[in-house]
Amino acid sequence: MTMEFLNLKVPMALGGAHGKAPAGSTEGAGNRGRRIEQIALAVALIAIVAALPSLNIGYRFLSIAITTGYTAIALYGLGLQFGQAGIMSVGHAAMLGVGAYTAAMLSNHLGVGFWAALPASIVFAAIAGGLVGLPSLRVSGQHYIIITFCCCALLVICLTNGGKLTGAATGLDVGSIPRVFGINFDKLFNYYYLVLAALVITLGLVYAIVNSSYGRTLRSIRENEQLARAIGINVDLHKIGVFMASGAFAGLAGILQVYYLRHISPTLYGAFPSLYLALMVMLGGGRLIYGPLIGAIIVNFLPEVMDLNPVDSRIAYGVALLVVILLLPGGVSSGLLAIYRWICGRLFGRVSKAGS
Amino acid sequence: MAALEINGLSKAFGGVIALGGVDLSIPDDRITGIVGPNGSGKTTLFNVITGVYPPTGGSITWHGEDISGRAPHQIARKGLVRTFQQAMSFPGLSVKENIQIALERGSRQLRGQAPRWHTPEDLLDFVGLGGRGGDDAGSMPFGNLRRLGVAVALAANPVLLLLDEPAAGLSDGEANMLADLIMKLPEMGIGVCLIDHHMTFMTALCQRLIVLDFGTKIADGTTQSVLTDPKVMEVYLGGEL
Repeated sequence: MTMEFLNLKVPMALGGAHGKAPAGSTEGAGNRGRRIEQIALAVALIAIVAALPSLNIGYRFLSIAITTGYTAIALYGLGLQFGQAGIMSVGHAAMLGVGAYTAAMLSNHLGVGFWAALPASIVFAAIAGGLVGLPSLRVSGQHYIIITFCCCALLVICLTNGGKLTGAATGLDVGSIPRVFGINFDKLFNYYYLVLAALVITLGLVYAIVNSSYGRTLRSIRENEQLARAIGINVDLHKIGVFMASGAFAGLAGILQVYYLRHISPTLYGAFPSLYLALMVMLGGGRLIYGPLIGAIIVNFLPEVMDLNPVDSRIAYGVALLVVILLLPGGVSSGLLAIYRWICGRLFGRVSKAGS
Repeated sequence: MAALEINGLSKAFGGVIALGGVDLSIPDDRITGIVGPNGSGKTTLFNVITGVYPPTGGSITWHGEDISGRAPHQIARKGLVRTFQQAMSFPGLSVKENIQIALERGSRQLRGQAPRWHTPEDLLDFVGLGGRGGDDAGSMPFGNLRRLGVAVALAANPVLLLLDEPAAGLSDGEANMLADLIMKLPEMGIGVCLIDHHMTFMTALCQRLIVLDFGTKIADGTTQSVLTDPKVMEVYLGGEL
């Protein structure tokens, strides 16, 4: 994994020195080796995840995996915004809500099905993302975070008071996804693969963005907005851009959520779900490619694995967040990476250094 | 007419007049120095020129085009690139990535020239940071950080480079190395305008000095004539008793 790709300060004591990409690595053979290593890792992970349902893991596990999948898609958007551009949001569930309600309203009022509603959900959520991003041009830091929280609360109020249009507090129901090539998405297995496909596309897109010149531009805004402007970067434009990208991923997550749950109501997109999204991205780490996915897996599977009730699980999340912030500011993913590097350093020693 | 023409430029922050009608012309083919005591409006001048603050009055003309009140990124794209006293680099990124970000910007503003530096390594070699590309910009020694700041600005392909106190906090040795670097720029087609307090540094570099005091220009001419100007002596050493 290259440093351009990870772009994270790993504590030196944990072997961070191995992580620095030496000068000239972009065109070097070592970098190609790392690319291959990354692709191999991604393919292996996808293969394992794709093979899971055939292991007879049960419906409960599968349904949590689906939740994890679409949540991770939304988290990748938030990861771009928070990890790359450095702007946190505690109202990100509202973006999911826009995507989900777009699909549900199209289905209920205009009879538009999943496939036609898919681009609409993405586009509307992207527009909503851009609108919520507008205040960030004026206010920053905690002040902006409060604004995102307010936007989220505002959306819930609108949805609750939307009458027949939004189904008010009861919410809306949707039908099932029409068959494509005879695949019945009412079957949990097939829905699992649909979400997995969307997640893989998301991963690919986010990886491409992070490693592009656009990704570097976003990181420059995160690190020093003033200097970014002084070298000719249109900071305002790129901020709105990243909010729209972030919203688009949330829109995709939203439509996958509504067609999975088949029923949505405003409470799904309020303060608590928003805080969970922020929690997951911070736990997993927003800057590393697997960070959001790891965050989603931990938060969704933790209560199941540890057999916690909803109240206890909140306490567990709180403790986990404190531990991560104090010990691993880059999230669990950065900790795993440091361990991986340490092991590689021990196993291959100088070889991995010279090869990079 | 010089590349950068400033006429009657003023900037007030509430009741505080930071710049009170400054007229300047700064060419883009040599090194021009701006000196003045603390609070004389030097940095404010840079901030107004580069669009950080809109001017209260007056005009700024760059190659015949009025640029007053434009956004900082628009001014930078026209070839007026500055450095900062404090915010010199993108601290959380590698040195190489710092340069890469700016080079990608600079390559979009080539103005018909061939790029001066093709890779981040070329530019790092030029500023004397060769082989440091993998370092974390945030944990660099101060002298190297200053050079990285200059390298980032150079990568953005300036026509006129505005350096805000580049020698502040540097040892004499480091300041000399930086001066050697700045000295090379005019022959590469990059004009330099710099602010500094370090007088030996400034006299070595600049053929022309401009002196500001309380937001107005009190002297402008060859370095030698400015240094012997009685008004300048009064500002720096105090008037006769």
